[in-house]
Amino acid sequence: MTELLANLVPVLAQEVSAHGDGGGPAWIASVPLLALFASVLCLGALFLGVKSKLPAWIVVVSLGISFIVTLTGFLAWQGTADDSGHLHAQLIQIYEWIGMANAGSGGEAFSGFFGFYMDGLSWLWMLFVTGLATLIALYASEYMEHDVGKGYARFFAAFALFVFSMACLVMGDNLLLLYLGWEGVGLCSYLLIGYFYKKPSAVAAAKKAFIVNRIGDLGLAVGLFLTFVTFETIQYDELFASVGSGVMANGQAYSGTWQSWLIPICLMIGAFGKSAQFPLYVWLPDAMEGPTPVSALIHAATMVTAGVYLIARMMPLFLADETHLALTIVAWTGAFTALLAATIGMAQFDIKRIMAYSTVSQLGYMFAGLGVLTSAGAAFHVFTHAFFKALLFLACGAVMHGFAGQLDLRKLSGLLSMKGWGIVSLTMLVGCLNLAGVPLITSGYFSKDMILAEAFVTPNEVIAGSSWIGWILLFTAGLTAYYTFRVFFRVFVGPEHFEPGDDHHGDDDDHGHDHDDAHSNGHGGSHDGFHPHPPRMAINGVLLILALCSFLAIPTYFVGKHHGWVGGLIHESSAYVPSEATPWLHHADDDHTGDHAGDAHHEGDLVAGTILGQDPHKAMYFISAVVGLIGILVAARLHGPAGAWGLGLGSRTEAATSRADALLPRMGPVARWAQNKWYVDEFYNALFVRPLYVLANIFHAIDKLLVDGLVNLFGLLPRWLAQSLRPSQSGVLHGYAVGMAGGLVVVLVIVLVLLFMGGGGG
Amino acid sequence: MESSLLIWLMAVPLATTGAIVFAPERMAKVLATFGSMVGVLLGLIAAGRFDWADGAAYQFTSSFPLIESLGINLSFGVDSIALWLVLLTQLLQPLCVIGSFSAITERVRTYYAWLMALQAAMIGVFVARDLLFFYISFEFTLVPMYVLISLYGSTNRRKAATKFFLYTFTGSMIALAGLVYVVWFTAQTTGEWTFAIETLEQQARTMGRSQQAWVLLAMLAGFAVKVPIFPLHTWLPLAHTEAPTAGSVILAGVLLKLGTYAIWRFVLPFVPAAVNEYAPIIAGVCIVGILYGGLVCWVQRDVKKLVAYSSVAHLGFCMLGMFALNNVGAAGSVLYMINHGLSTGALFFCIGFMYERYHTRSLDEVGGLASKMPVWSFFMGFFTMASVGLPGLNGFVSEIMCLMGAFQSGAADIGAGGTTGPLGPWYAAIAGTGMIVAAMYLLFMVGKIVFGPLREPAGHHEHDVLPTDLNAREIGVLSVLAAGCIVLGVYPRMVIHNIEAPIEQTLSVVSMAASGDDPASTLATTGGPVLLAGRDAE
Repeated sequence: MTELLANLVPVLAQEVSAHGDGGGPAWIASVPLLALFASVLCLGALFLGVKSKLPAWIVVVSLGISFIVTLTGFLAWQGTADDSGHLHAQLIQIYEWIGMANAGSGGEAFSGFFGFYMDGLSWLWMLFVTGLATLIALYASEYMEHDVGKGYARFFAAFALFVFSMACLVMGDNLLLLYLGWEGVGLCSYLLIGYFYKKPSAVAAAKKAFIVNRIGDLGLAVGLFLTFVTFETIQYDELFASVGSGVMANGQAYSGTWQSWLIPICLMIGAFGKSAQFPLYVWLPDAMEGPTPVSALIHAATMVTAGVYLIARMMPLFLADETHLALTIVAWTGAFTALLAATIGMAQFDIKRIMAYSTVSQLGYMFAGLGVLTSAGAAFHVFTHAFFKALLFLACGAVMHGFAGQLDLRKLSGLLSMKGWGIVSLTMLVGCLNLAGVPLITSGYFSKDMILAEAFVTPNEVIAGSSWIGWILLFTAGLTAYYTFRVFFRVFVGPEHFEPGDDHHGDDDDHGHDHDDAHSNGHGGSHDGFHPHPPRMAINGVLLILALCSFLAIPTYFVGKHHGWVGGLIHESSAYVPSEATPWLHHADDDHTGDHAGDAHHEGDLVAGTILGQDPHKAMYFISAVVGLIGILVAARLHGPAGAWGLGLGSRTEAATSRADALLPRMGPVARWAQNKWYVDEFYNALFVRPLYVLANIFHAIDKLLVDGLVNLFGLLPRWLAQSLRPSQSGVLHGYAVGMAGGLVVVLVIVLVLLFMGGGGG
Repeated sequence: MESSLLIWLMAVPLATTGAIVFAPERMAKVLATFGSMVGVLLGLIAAGRFDWADGAAYQFTSSFPLIESLGINLSFGVDSIALWLVLLTQLLQPLCVIGSFSAITERVRTYYAWLMALQAAMIGVFVARDLLFFYISFEFTLVPMYVLISLYGSTNRRKAATKFFLYTFTGSMIALAGLVYVVWFTAQTTGEWTFAIETLEQQARTMGRSQQAWVLLAMLAGFAVKVPIFPLHTWLPLAHTEAPTAGSVILAGVLLKLGTYAIWRFVLPFVPAAVNEYAPIIAGVCIVGILYGGLVCWVQRDVKKLVAYSSVAHLGFCMLGMFALNNVGAAGSVLYMINHGLSTGALFFCIGFMYERYHTRSLDEVGGLASKMPVWSFFMGFFTMASVGLPGLNGFVSEIMCLMGAFQSGAADIGAGGTTGPLGPWYAAIAGTGMIVAAMYLLFMVGKIVFGPLREPAGHHEHDVLPTDLNAREIGVLSVLAAGCIVLGVYPRMVIHNIEAPIEQTLSVVSMAASGDDPASTLATTGGPVLLAGRDAE
């Protein structure tokens, strides 16, 4: 038996090999395993019907340990810099997952390891993924408490499985393991969006998320195949070495081939699906059907940034295309998505939906940042956005939790002055300031600026219409500030007013109506007996920590040589855009010494762009600050309450209406279109879903009538014959069967007799 | 002992059949369980004794002359591919027996007797090295299955059983014609009658182009019905829907694999030149099957029929990988045979267990069972994910390898990672949309039957035999399959590593035919250990 095992599973006899240039610790591999273990334990708790908060504590503790392991590993990795101060990627290969020794027919073997590749990019992602996951698990332990003994264990099992998948996605050392994580997070997203599985809308949203993501996944899969065929490897270290050398596996130059633009485009399609970019963004707003901690972790802070991660990870492939076709599409799609989602967000009344659209919009900024060649800016925006968007969602979740699922901003007002809601309101304010990009005091301001400035710096010759992208993003920044503070001014300040939602415990408790109200301490659906239910320790504590983190992200912008701490990490990763790829910046550095006139440049050299003739890096600090403030002031004027909290501009005296209502009729149908999300869902339905459904029905009919009909027709002929020859139909086959079985037995008996008499042949 | 191991593999189930026939009715379950468990043990012994390092060579060989003047022998032997399929059969058998305890309450003896006889026939197909015995076993599988469907199926069982029998029987007759032609051809060239597969294989390759094409057509007619390849699939949804649970499991798990295995064993090495020539057409038909089958799944209202149609789509991937004619595709294809047996078999078990409780399979009548049957729902969701190709579970590995193989095949001029071959990137890209369709229909199914508001058939009342949720026996059956899905998803190298040698051997024949080398020169290389040199040294 042991021999069989050793034969079939040689991996057991193998040792984990850790190599590569980096010298970090191999035990970082325990991070995903820890999360997987927690998930399995929660599953066990689910089967055993544990009726306590045990699953939450299992997950919080194991994720907390994961974070500490990641942090320790990161610090150890930081200590491995070589003489020139460079940090090298570290490769930890555990075993070969899918692979063949030989592809045959002249091809090379295909191989994907279960192994991890740790460079600055992976470390950055792992740090905020494990850190935020721990905090949000803690928050969820309180948020989900009325499901203890019902969906509680299921929730945390999927939650921990998500962290496992995300870790595989981020740490994987090849595209195949990334694909595992990619679909794994998709599964967890599916399970958690559909958490309230009795609700048809939740089930539909979950299904939609999975299927739309699968469209992107196909792009990723084709990109993977094409990468392998071109480079004979899907392992990052070998792949980047090949791309760096500019030679394909067959010895020909890579540059200028059709693969050089097609591979990035395929990967880009995958990224668009996961990161909810146009045209595949439609699943994310619907994903808000899930419990709010899920929206915060998966659909705002971590999973949806996987697309940004993918493009950043594959930056060498994107840069290898000298026409920058894929990057141009990425930049324009990002900018367009940012604008589109912001316009929809402005017209929504559900505060969680507004946050969802703002996530789509901010992801658009990140993609635009990648497109205009500032991977450091994009990564920094991912980093700051992770904190403040998680904060915003969790604050909205606290409101939802306390007001029986109420999310309509027309039905809530003045939370700040209500007892017990101070921390939620103030941390919400911090989140709003960050999202609106209020100058100097917020990290969101600095990260957004990096992208905006770079859009203007990158010459239009490199990324077509780069400065236009800058203008679109700048305009969107104004809209962002407006819709963000629209929420704040309506819900958190002004006259105190609330109408509870429809649900006993908020939207999140739609299933489980079967339990009686005895323990639900006054959560009756009726307004009369309803008391808002302010959050307690876990929720408030997590909100405060996140608010603090979003401030702490500011100083990271000012350390290090390469655009802050995040920029430094990107510098030590495959996401780094080398100076050869951005010669205009190079020139700008040279110019520091002397003339700014630019006569040092050769004719036709690329020159860094400007904004209105100014250096964008400096001008943008002022311009974006002004744009953001204008947005806030407009929001104050239209939605702010009378008095100081309305900045002296507002005049709102009740929850349901505001000055903006008077503007709507004057905007004609535009406002209604925006509120109906520009009818994109309806358009997709009419263009894809319904025709496909009709086609499927046609196929079904063809299958029944034509394909099977022909078979039946064919079958009639011998049946008539048989009937005319043999009147007694029944039992014919049975008799035939018995005869045949008997024959086979006889044959086998003969064989056995021969065997024992003659000792068998061979 | 070793040489008779394969005979024991067949003799034990047959002996069990005999014992069941003569034992009292109440002993049938026990005997069948015991017999199939002994089968598992024998399977494990076979796996332990098998020299995996030499997987391309037939092992446990034995041969008994039957009619010497016609060259008819009874020869047995397995290479590593056949052995894996034998193991799959041995694993599924006790699960099918145990899974039927509560479903079959009448004519119990007949049921288990035929179920065990079916196992013997299936093993016979995989271990045969003689064409005649292969064909007898191949055809004999129809008989027990016919009885199982026609006696123990649902309302429309007679029609389904007859159609199943006649359709596949007709197909097999045409295949037999093709195979007999090869025998005749061999007799013509060598002057001796033989039914030994190895000899026929070497001679068949020397046939001319048009001869090969006709033989290909004849063999495909029979084997493609069994797989089934679109448009020869219409017997399948009917048979699956009407069959008892264990019948569906065996049907999906092993019987369909007889078709794919036969194509691998006969079509590829017998007529390699024709295979190369017609592979694009066959692959094209497979792709149509993937998309067509998937879309038809999407509009089914009967959950069992939905899963049945999904086999058409899934085996489309399997055949696509095989006709990519490169190692990755073929390994994916063989892996697909095993994986599909596990995950789709398990789905049929799940549906069967649900049916025993609600006596309906209509998605309009029953749904939202997550709140009523959480354990069942977990397994249903799990196997759906295995089926949809979620990485980490088994389905993904085979699917991505089949697609990868199709993508590489013929992409040698694109990059060094490609291989020579008849297909190309477009085949994989279009077939890849099947992954999206698979998500559509499988999540539609789960969304209806597991999630959503609880719906139970009108007039449904709690019955006394079975608990609301799964009992320990049912959980045990599903857990074994779930473990298989995880193991093959996490460590597929266990299989891939061991089937590389025979795959390489068969494909080298095919690729030689493609490059136009003298077919006779392949004689020297087939079957020899020379080709194993390319294997990795692990």
